[in-house]
Amino acid sequence: MTQPPNGFDPNDPIGTWRAWRDATLDAWAKSMTALVNTETFSQAIGAQLDALLAVSGPVQQAVQQYMERYLAQAQLPSRNEVVTLASRLTNIEFRLDDMQAQLDELTDLVRKLTSSETQPAPDLTMIGERLQVIEEQLTSLSAVRAANRPRKATTEEKE
Amino acid sequence: MTSSDAAPIDLERMTEQLLKEIERTTKSSDMAARLATNRIRVAVGQTPKEQIWALNKMRLYHYYPQVPPEQRKPVPLLLVFALINRPYIFDLRPGNSFVEYMLQHGYEVYLLDWGTPGPEDAHYDFEDFSLKFLPRAVRAMQRHSGKREFSMLGWCIGATIVTIYAAMRPDDGLRNLVLLTAPLDFSDKEGSTFSRWLNTEYYNVDELVRQFGNVPAAIIEYGNKMLKPVENYIGTYLKLWDNLDNPAVVEAWLAMNTWVTDNVDFPGAAFRQWVIEFFRENRLMENKLMMEGRVVDVSNIKANLLNVIADKDHIVPNCQSRSIMDRVGSKDKKLIELKGGHIGIMVGSGASKRAWPQIEAWLSERSN
Repeated sequence: MTQPPNGFDPNDPIGTWRAWRDATLDAWAKSMTALVNTETFSQAIGAQLDALLAVSGPVQQAVQQYMERYLAQAQLPSRNEVVTLASRLTNIEFRLDDMQAQLDELTDLVRKLTSSETQPAPDLTMIGERLQVIEEQLTSLSAVRAANRPRKATTEEKE
Repeated sequence: MTSSDAAPIDLERMTEQLLKEIERTTKSSDMAARLATNRIRVAVGQTPKEQIWALNKMRLYHYYPQVPPEQRKPVPLLLVFALINRPYIFDLRPGNSFVEYMLQHGYEVYLLDWGTPGPEDAHYDFEDFSLKFLPRAVRAMQRHSGKREFSMLGWCIGATIVTIYAAMRPDDGLRNLVLLTAPLDFSDKEGSTFSRWLNTEYYNVDELVRQFGNVPAAIIEYGNKMLKPVENYIGTYLKLWDNLDNPAVVEAWLAMNTWVTDNVDFPGAAFRQWVIEFFRENRLMENKLMMEGRVVDVSNIKANLLNVIADKDHIVPNCQSRSIMDRVGSKDKKLIELKGGHIGIMVGSGASKRAWPQIEAWLSERSN
């Protein structure tokens, strides 16, 4: 279906209505975005906040006073006491987290030290074999030396 | 319009169009009834994960890898979202999940969830989130992954938090820093609607925090929606109405709407600091933000930096995110501007074609 060049199609009243709606909304959005960016609107936002605070302040204070009295009579902790307790728990959590980190570091160090102390045991069989080779070589060497040493005249030969 | 431009009246076509609309409305009525009675649930944050660490309300999750060990990148990635929304926006729905995408590309992905603050958490400010909580989460991630070096991606206020961390802890192993739509520079007071609202003396932030402790999520949500009131209060529901006969569109809408309306309270001290020290006094960019007795100096940032901004971001306008590029000490830094809005760049229909591949490609070159 081809659209008429200006977007208006008398045969599609819903589509035409939708296009009109979107265009209107778009124009409205632009003007509102411009409006909220003005000094006047900033004042209005501030005034809204002031109005909220003016109402909520006394209400919160009244509720807080009533609740504190009620909780004290019921021998229950007040909001402030619970908040203080929660803060103390958080502080404990922080200290635990730091201790955990220090413990992790120490564990790493101990692991490194332990691994350097427990080097793999040397292979004794191999050492034995090598010693045997060295012993054989020494034996043959001493035999050679004995053979080459100048013979001393024995007593019998002197006689 | 001249009479020659007008299409001739064709009763048969008109009837056909009306019948089509009636058929569409009939098909939509079932969906409308299910929506009205709250009978449709869309599962969000579905990628399998394990919780590896918890502290106070915070949780650190590790997503199960989806590729064999030999294909995995050696540098893990930590995702950090804002304080005021849920972080499952990173993993909205199967097929529309940044987490899933990065897992498929071989990353070890970790996600930090700040949790919902209680009244006892109202005194936490940005120093606590950036330098007390985040370093502990990083430590837990390093322990779990067995890797000292890591990449970190912060989005929105999460980007502000990771920027502070990167500036104050430059030697803690952060190799790559990705900032998404980061609100950092508030020098342009006319630059954003929020700057106008919060900079004005009419906004009584002290009394708000004094009365409520944590700033209620409803007030934050109202503020966010009022930036574009017609789109957020009317346009989005009309879009849903027009697509009620299309289950895929309805599901996508519901998932997004679930996230948009699932806000958490803003910790009171952090909100007060956000309004006064960031929005009003621009302390971070003016080198006047003090934490742990030192100035937070962004020139201390040494990690490779990717700064991603959205061209249609009405929440964090570009002027708040750009100037960090000239201030950081990073030798390797890149700014990319993508089509889309504050959230749309990462979860919109174009995210998997534009933002995700560009972020992944940049990280990939720096994760070996």
